Amino acid sequence: MIDLPALPLSVRRRLRELLLEQAHPLVLSFAGQWELCGVHGDAAWYGIDAGSAAERLDALRDLFVGLELDQQQVLPFVELANGRSVHLHLIPDAGDFHLLLLDAESARTAQREQQQLANEAVLAGHAKGKAIDALKHIRNELERQRSQLAEADALKGALIATLSHEFRTPLTAAFGRVRLLEQSAAADPALQRELLALRRSLVHLQVLAENLLEYGRGEAGGLLNPGAVDLEALAADCRAMIEPLAMAKGLDLRVLPAAAAAPPPQLDELRLRQILVNLLSNAVRYTAQGEVSLALRWDGRELEAEVADTGIGIAPEFQARIFQPFNAGGQSGSRGAGLGLSIVRRLVEQMHGTLALDSAPGRGSRFTLRLPGAAAASASASAPGQGRLHGRAYVVDDDPDIAQLLELALVDLGLQVRCFDAAPVAIEAALAAPPDLLVLDMRLPGLSGPEAVYALRSRGCRSPVLMLSAHATAAARESALHAGADRYLTKPVDFAQFARVVREMLG
Amino acid sequence: MLGDFGVGKTSLVARFVRSTFSDKYLTTVGVKVDSKEVARAEREPVKLVLWDIAGRNALDTVSANYLRGAAALLLVADGTREASLAAALDLLMQSRALLPDALAVLAVNKFDLLERWEVGAPTLAQLRRLLPVFETSAATGTGVEPAFAAIAAGLAP
Repeated sequence: MIDLPALPLSVRRRLRELLLEQAHPLVLSFAGQWELCGVHGDAAWYGIDAGSAAERLDALRDLFVGLELDQQQVLPFVELANGRSVHLHLIPDAGDFHLLLLDAESARTAQREQQQLANEAVLAGHAKGKAIDALKHIRNELERQRSQLAEADALKGALIATLSHEFRTPLTAAFGRVRLLEQSAAADPALQRELLALRRSLVHLQVLAENLLEYGRGEAGGLLNPGAVDLEALAADCRAMIEPLAMAKGLDLRVLPAAAAAPPPQLDELRLRQILVNLLSNAVRYTAQGEVSLALRWDGRELEAEVADTGIGIAPEFQARIFQPFNAGGQSGSRGAGLGLSIVRRLVEQMHGTLALDSAPGRGSRFTLRLPGAAAASASASAPGQGRLHGRAYVVDDDPDIAQLLELALVDLGLQVRCFDAAPVAIEAALAAPPDLLVLDMRLPGLSGPEAVYALRSRGCRSPVLMLSAHATAAARESALHAGADRYLTKPVDFAQFARVVREMLG
Repeated sequence: MLGDFGVGKTSLVARFVRSTFSDKYLTTVGVKVDSKEVARAEREPVKLVLWDIAGRNALDTVSANYLRGAAALLLVADGTREASLAAALDLLMQSRALLPDALAVLAVNKFDLLERWEVGAPTLAQLRRLLPVFETSAATGTGVEPAFAAIAAGLAP
C-alpha cells in the first residue's frame, strides 16, 4: 500500500487530479434512513442534478431494498438511470451512512465488448449446430427418397429387360424358320412375297426388343465389350436386315462398306450394330421414295458411319427433341415406340462417340456417327467411374461439426474414416498405420496443419494429404503444399469438388 | 432476473417496464435496476424493483452479491436452447442456498420462435409441479405481464 502523506506534494497533486478525472467520485451522505445531508463531487455527472435529485435518490434507494444499511456494501457495475455505469459503495458511519459512486463506464465498455464477442460466438455455434442437424435431416430424407426411386427404377428396368429377353428366343427361332421357308419356296414368287412381309415384321419386332432391352439397362448401361469388328460382315448384316423393309417401300438401299484396312477397329460390335440398325430402320420409316444409304469409313483411328435418306427431313426446331425417349412427334407419319434415336444417343455416349445430324424438311436427313477406335474404347472400359472407393481416411479437424461432415462425405465415397481433433494423436496414428488419405485442417490448436504434415513427411509417412483451410490466399496454399500436402482446398468446402479431388487422389 | 446470457432477461424488463423491444442482442455487464408498480387483486399495489443481472449459467461471487436482499427470482430460459433451461434450474438450486425463502418463477422466453424450440412441452409440464412456469415472448409481450404478476401476487403482504 502506498504511503500517501510520504509522497511529494506534486505527485500527490497529480494523483488526485488523475483520480478525480478518471473515477469522478461522488459522495452522498445520509443521516438515519435516507435523509440526504451532504453532496461532495460532480452529482450532475451521474444524472443527479438539483431538479431531479429526489427521483434519482429514490432510484438509488431501490438498490438497497432488503439490504442492511449498517454493513459495508459494494455493488460493482450498476447502471444508473442516465445509462452510466458506476461502482457503488455503501459506507456505514455511526448510524448514518455514505454512498460513494465511482465511474465504471470505460471498464464496462471494455468488458461489454469482450463479453459480447464471447456470447455471440457461443450463440452462433449453437445456431450452426442446429443448421447442420437440419442439413443432415434433409440429406437423410433425400437419401431415403433416392433409394426408393432407385428401387422403383431398378424394378422397371428389370421388368423391361426380362420381357425383351423373353422376346429374343422366339424371334431367333422365327428368323430361322423364315430362312428355311425362303430356301424351299425359291420357285414360288407369291410365297416369297408373303415371307418377305413376315421377315419385315420380325425385323420390326427384333429392333423393338433390342431397344427395350437397352432402355431397361438404364442410362449407365453395361460395360463396353470391345473386340475386332469385321466391317464388311457388319455392312452385309445391316443390308440383310434392312433390305426387306426398303424393298417393301420401293426404296433403293445402298450400302458402302469400308475399304478393307488392317487392323480392324476395336469396338463393341453389338452396340455398333444396334446404332446402325436403328438409324437405318428410322431412315426407311420416314422415306417415301428415293434411297437410303449407309457408308462406313475407317481410318485406323476413327470409324465414321453415315446414314442418309431422301425422306421428309426434320425441321430445326425438332432436331434436339427427336433424341428424347418416346418422342416421335417431330416427324409426321411416325410409327414405332419412339425409343430408337434416344437409344442411339445413349449408345453413342457410352462409346464416347459423336452423332451429327444434317437435315431440313423435304431434303432428307443425314446422320453422321463418329466413334473413336481401339485405344479410346478400351480406355473407356477402365475409365475412373463413380464407383465406391476403398481404403482408410483420417480426418483431423478441431471443429467436431466440420469433422463429422467430412466424415460423412468420405463414408459416402466408400472410405473407412477415423476422426481426430488434434494433430499429435493423428500423427501417432498415421505413423503406426498409414491411412490411404489424410484430410487435415490448416489451423489446428497446438500443432498447425502444415507443421503436422511436415512432421509426418519428415518421419517417412507418404500418405496423400489433403489440406483444408479457411484462408483462400496464395500464401496459405503455398505454405500447405510446401509443408508436404498433396492438395489444398478452401473452406467452406464444396463437397462435389471435395469428392472429385478425393477420387483423383485415390485414383 | 437470473438466467444464462442471451435468454432475454433485459428484453423482458424492457417489455414489462417500457413496452419496448429490440431484437439486437446487447450483453448486460453488471446490473441494471428498474422498477414498476404492479396492481394486485384486492390488495395494495406493490413496487417491483427489478435487478437485471448479467447472464451466467452458474452463480459466481459477483452475481451472488447482487442477489442479497432479493424477495423473488424470475428465472429466465430460452426455449430455443435447452441448455439454458438446465442453466436456469442450476441457478435456482445455487441461489436457494443464499435465498431459501425467495419466491421463484420460471419464464421460458422466445415463445414467438416456437418452431425452433428445443424445450419439450412434457418438460415444462414436469416443471410446473415445482414452480410457476410461463412461456413468454419479450418480442410480442406474450406471457410477460402474467409472469411478473405471479411474482407480485406471491409477495407479502
